[in-house]
Amino acid sequence: MARYAMVIDTRRCIGCQSCTVACKVHNELPVDMIYNPVTTVGPTGVFPNLHMVHIPLLCMHCENTPCVDACPTGASLRREDGIVWINEKKCVGCKACVMACPYGARISNQEKGIVQKCDFCLDRVDMGKIPRCVQSCHQKARIFGDLDDPNSEVVKLINSHHTVRLLDELGSKPSVFYIYGLEAQMR
Amino acid sequence: MSRKHDEWGWMLAVDFFFAGMGGAMLVIAGIADLFLGNAQTSVLGNFAGAIFIAIGAGFLILELGRPLQAFRVFMNPKAILTFGAWNMTFAIIAGLLFASFGITILPWSGFILVRKFLAAFCIIFGLIVATYPGVLLARHKARPFWNGPGIMVLFFLSSFITGMAGHILSGYVIGESSWFIAEGYIVNSLSSLVLQDLPHLTAILLLFQLIFWAGYIWIKRSGGTDREAEAAQRWINGDLSASFKLGFILLGTIVPIVLMLFTTPVIHSVGACLAILGGMIMRYLVVRAGEDRTWLPGEQKYRSRLPVGNEEFLKVWK
Repeated sequence: MARYAMVIDTRRCIGCQSCTVACKVHNELPVDMIYNPVTTVGPTGVFPNLHMVHIPLLCMHCENTPCVDACPTGASLRREDGIVWINEKKCVGCKACVMACPYGARISNQEKGIVQKCDFCLDRVDMGKIPRCVQSCHQKARIFGDLDDPNSEVVKLINSHHTVRLLDELGSKPSVFYIYGLEAQMR
Repeated sequence: MSRKHDEWGWMLAVDFFFAGMGGAMLVIAGIADLFLGNAQTSVLGNFAGAIFIAIGAGFLILELGRPLQAFRVFMNPKAILTFGAWNMTFAIIAGLLFASFGITILPWSGFILVRKFLAAFCIIFGLIVATYPGVLLARHKARPFWNGPGIMVLFFLSSFITGMAGHILSGYVIGESSWFIAEGYIVNSLSSLVLQDLPHLTAILLLFQLIFWAGYIWIKRSGGTDREAEAAQRWINGDLSASFKLGFILLGTIVPIVLMLFTTPVIHSVGACLAILGGMIMRYLVVRAGEDRTWLPGEQKYRSRLPVGNEEFLKVWK
């Protein structure tokens, strides 16, 4: 069984928001819903040594899932391959998972009355394709793969770079790893 | 982007308030009946406890995105909301049955052993209902103002203050409409020692509330992380401070303490109303404080630039 993860190389990301748009189009999201925001930190430093980093955010597909634990209906689920998804038929829109998620990755869809989130495009993944945001990233800043496959690019990147996971101190064990530039200050 | 996408609304605060108050009213009624005997709290207060929990449950359902699918919240026993929903249901049933023993014309009102069992159930389920909202909030690791056991204690305390206030008010109303008692339709609680002592006990708990809240804000302000300090700042001189200081601390805590020291039932009732108002304001402010999440790098700046929902281009788009 695969164990899916994503590596985001912030040194490559230019903040073009292509992934944000591709995700919105693929998931047919309402205008005020975003699964994949790209934030910007900086510029920091003193001229001429200025630095700026763009940080694509998404559901971290945590191993310890506070959102799944909080869901009273059993609509939030984690598959064996690590993808965290929502069974929309069971969701009642109580927003318990929205509040429990430390990453703000879950959004309430007011039109449907349910909560929605990034699911690594599981429909595409099940067909052997990569998520839409990964496919649309022309800078190759997003890399998707299987953590249990030693030959996958994500494993090679994690082993060869200093990667960090956001809010790792909370113990949720995210499946999204970030490669930061050396001087980037994460504030 | 409108905040309703990523946070609970005011109806959940109302649910927490009514569930806390109702749960505590059942606990007080149950303890009084079990250890001090029959008619220590008013019939109205006993019924009100269960009804308030039901009202809270109603607001919880209205808060859902799909209210007609509300039965699904009973499905995941591992989730604390499911645990709370089941216990609210049990508390409503136990509370209504227990309160019905106060109506003397009902044929089962003389079954003392059954009443005692129901009183015990009221204590158990009432305690859980009064406590679980605090536990629910305290477990949110990424919500700096909620995280930690302190909020559980504050909610528990407020539940009992508002629960006592509820019994004081109910006792006063029943006293004013004692025709029911004179006709023998309901049990007579007018000479109850519990009801007589509740104002003083409420004043003591209100004093505890004042001290605990001051300590809680202080600890958060100077506590573990920068995010906690920022969250506490909203209560000290930020957007929540006026409602907190004037609404909750002054009107909902200090003034009721003073009023509870008088000996007139009318003044006690006014104090009880203010204590209840304070409890509601506190729940609302705490739920609003949940807006403060531990932000990810650059996220705050990003979100501040999103449309709030009333922009022209959004209207045109739709």
